[in-house]
Amino acid sequence: MIERLGLVTTQLPTTGSSVMALLVVVLPLLLGVLGAACRPKRGWPAVLASLLALLPLLTLTPLVVSQGTQAWVLELDGLTLHWRANGLTLLLLLLTQLLVLASAAYAPAYLRVAVQAQGRGPAWLWPLMGLLAASLSLIWLAADLLTLYIGLELMGLSAVGLMLLPGREDALAAGMRYLLLALIGSLAFLLGLALLLGAWGRLDLAGLAEAVEAGPVLWVAMALLSAGLLLKAAAFPLHAWLAPVHGSAWTPVSALHAALVIKASFFIALQLWLVFAPQAAVAAWVVGGMGAAAVVWGGLLAWRADKLKDVVAWSTVSQLGYLLIGFPLLIGTAPAVASIAWDGVWLQLLAHSLAKAAMFLAVGNLMLATGESRVSGLAGASRRFPLALLSFGIAAISLVGLPPSAGFTAKWLLLHAALAAGQWPWLLVLAVGTLLSAAYVFRVFRYSFVEDVELEDYRPVPLRMDLIALILALASLLLGLAATWPLALLEIAGGGP
Amino acid sequence: MPPLDDVLLVTLPVLLAAFVLLDRHLVRACSLFVLFALAVALTWWKLGFLWLAMLETLLGAALTGGFLFHALGVGLAGRAPTARLAHARDPVPLIWRRGLVHLLPVLALLGMLAAALGSLPASDGSLAARWSGLVLIGLGLWAFALHTHLLRRLLAFNITGTGIFLLLMSLVGKTAPAAGQGLVITGLVVALLGTALGALLVRRLGALVPSREPASASDGQAS
Repeated sequence: MIERLGLVTTQLPTTGSSVMALLVVVLPLLLGVLGAACRPKRGWPAVLASLLALLPLLTLTPLVVSQGTQAWVLELDGLTLHWRANGLTLLLLLLTQLLVLASAAYAPAYLRVAVQAQGRGPAWLWPLMGLLAASLSLIWLAADLLTLYIGLELMGLSAVGLMLLPGREDALAAGMRYLLLALIGSLAFLLGLALLLGAWGRLDLAGLAEAVEAGPVLWVAMALLSAGLLLKAAAFPLHAWLAPVHGSAWTPVSALHAALVIKASFFIALQLWLVFAPQAAVAAWVVGGMGAAAVVWGGLLAWRADKLKDVVAWSTVSQLGYLLIGFPLLIGTAPAVASIAWDGVWLQLLAHSLAKAAMFLAVGNLMLATGESRVSGLAGASRRFPLALLSFGIAAISLVGLPPSAGFTAKWLLLHAALAAGQWPWLLVLAVGTLLSAAYVFRVFRYSFVEDVELEDYRPVPLRMDLIALILALASLLLGLAATWPLALLEIAGGGP
Repeated sequence: MPPLDDVLLVTLPVLLAAFVLLDRHLVRACSLFVLFALAVALTWWKLGFLWLAMLETLLGAALTGGFLFHALGVGLAGRAPTARLAHARDPVPLIWRRGLVHLLPVLALLGMLAAALGSLPASDGSLAARWSGLVLIGLGLWAFALHTHLLRRLLAFNITGTGIFLLLMSLVGKTAPAAGQGLVITGLVVALLGTALGALLVRRLGALVPSREPASASDGQAS
C-alpha cells in the first residue's frame, strides 16, 4: 500500500518539477491577493488567478505520467520536509483547482445577488479561499507529518473563517461550535503526533512506516490521530456540527467545504492507517461499522430534513460513510481485493466531490430564486427554474449511484471488493444507502413538480450561476463514462512496477 | 540544579492553570492566564529551548492575553462601551457532581496516555515536564468539557495545548529537537489564531445577541 501512496520512490526530482510543485501551492494565494485587491464582487481577476494555478499542474502531470512518482525533500535548518506527487496526488490537486475555479467563478454573481453589501465579509472571501486552496494542495502533496499538520491546521482555520463570513447570528453560533470542535480535533491530532515523534524520533511517513512497531504507543497514537481526523471529517458519531454549519454558510463556501475540506481529513486518516497499521483488520471493521451507521443515519435524516441545505448536508454525512467502508476493504485484505477497493474509494471521492459541489450550487440557486430555504417551498420550481433542477437531478444521479455516473462505477467497485473479500454486511449497507438516497432525492423532486401553485415573487438567478452548477453536475456524470482515465492515472502513479 | 527550582517550575504552571480554570471572575482568570504563559515560558527557558520561551512570551502571553482581554472588552484605554455585554463573571456556578462526572472520560484518556508513555523511558530532566504536561492536559480537557462559557473554553483549550507542547518536548528531548520545535511552533501559532478567532466571535456574538447571552442580565453588569 505504501507504493500506492507513492511514499517509496527512487525518482530524483528535476528542478523544473520542484518549481512546479511550489507553484501549485503558492499560486492559489495569488487568487486571494488579487481577489482582495480588486473589488470583491468583481471576480474576473480571481478567476484568472485560479486558471493560472492550473498551469503548473498541467506541466506537472506529463512529468509524473512519464517518469512516475516525484518526491521532494526540503531542508530547513535541521527540519526535513517531504513532499511527493503521484497520480493520486495529481487527481486530487486537479479536483481542488477545478472546484476552486468553479467556486471563484460562481462567487461574484452570488455575492451580487444574495449578499447586499454587508460589511467587510465579501472582501475576506478571496484571501480565505486562496488560503484554503493552498492548504489543500499542501495536504495532497505532503509526505511527512509536520507538513500534514501545518496543512490541516491552515485548512481548518480558513474553513472556519469562510463559514463565519455571512456574519449573521446563526452563522456565528454554528461557526463558534465548529471552531471549538476543530481546535479539539487538532489537539488530539497533535497529541498523537507527539507520541509518534517521541517513540520513533522522526516524522516522514516512509521512514515511520518501516520504524513503527505494534504496541500500546502505536495504538494510542493511532486512536488519537483518527479521533481528531474523523471529528474534522464529520464521520458518524462526530457529525452533529455539519448541518448547522452548512445551513448558514454561503453557497460557494458550502460547496468547497463539503467537496474538499471533509475529504482532506478522510484522506489523511486513510493514509495514516495504510502506513502505520496496514494489517489492523479489526480496528478497520470498527471504522467500517461507523461508516455503515453514517450511510443509514445520514440518509434517514436527509430524508426527514426540512430545509434544502440540510438535505444536502446530511447527504454528505451519508456519502462519507461509503468512503469509511473503504477502510475494512483496504486494510488487512488480500492485494486483489485492496486494489479494487482502492480504485473504488478514490473514484467515490472524486464523484462525490463533483456531484456534491454541483448539488450545493444548484440548491443555492433554487433557494435564491424561490426565496425559500425549505424543501416544501420548492413548489412550482419545475416550470420556472428547469436549469437549476436539471443540475440537481444530474448530480443526484451520481449521488444515488445510477449508471452511467461516476457514483455508479465507484459503488460498483466497492460492491465488487466487498464480494471478493467475503464481507457481506457492506452489500446490505450499499443497498440501503442507495434506497435512502433515492428517497431523499425524490422527495425534493416531488415538491418541485407540484404544479398548482402560483409563485408570485420569484427572481431568476443569473445564467452563469446555473451554468456552473450544470457543468459540475455533468462532470460527475461524464466521469463515469470516462472512468478509465482517472483509474489509469491511479495505476501509473500508484508507484508503477 | 537544585531540586527546589525544578519542583517550583513544575508546580507553578499547574497551580496557575488550576486557578485560571476554576476562577469564575473572567478578567482575573485572563490575567492569571498571562501569568501562566509566562511561567511556561520560564519552564521552556529552563529546559533549554530558548526559541520556544521567546515565542511563548510573545504569542502565548502577550498576543493571546491581548485577544482574551479584547473578548472581555477590556482594553488599554479602559473598558470599551460594549464591555457590559461580555459578562465579567461566568454566570454558571460550578456543580461538583457534574464536575466529577466529566472527570471520568478525562481520567480514561489520561490512563490510556499513561499506558502508552509507560513504554517510553524518560530522562531525569524531562520527567517533571512530562508530568506537568499530563496534568495540564487533564485539567484543560476537564474544564473544556465542564464549562459552557465560550471564553473559559478558549482558556481551557489553550491550557490543554500547552500541556501537549510540554509533553511533546519532554518526549522528543534531544532525539529530534528540530521536528519537535517545528510542531510546537506551528501549534502555538494555531492556538493563537484559534483564540483570536474565538475572541472576535465572542465579541460579535455579544454585540448581536445581548438578550440571549447565558441568562444573567441581573449579574451585576446588567445592560
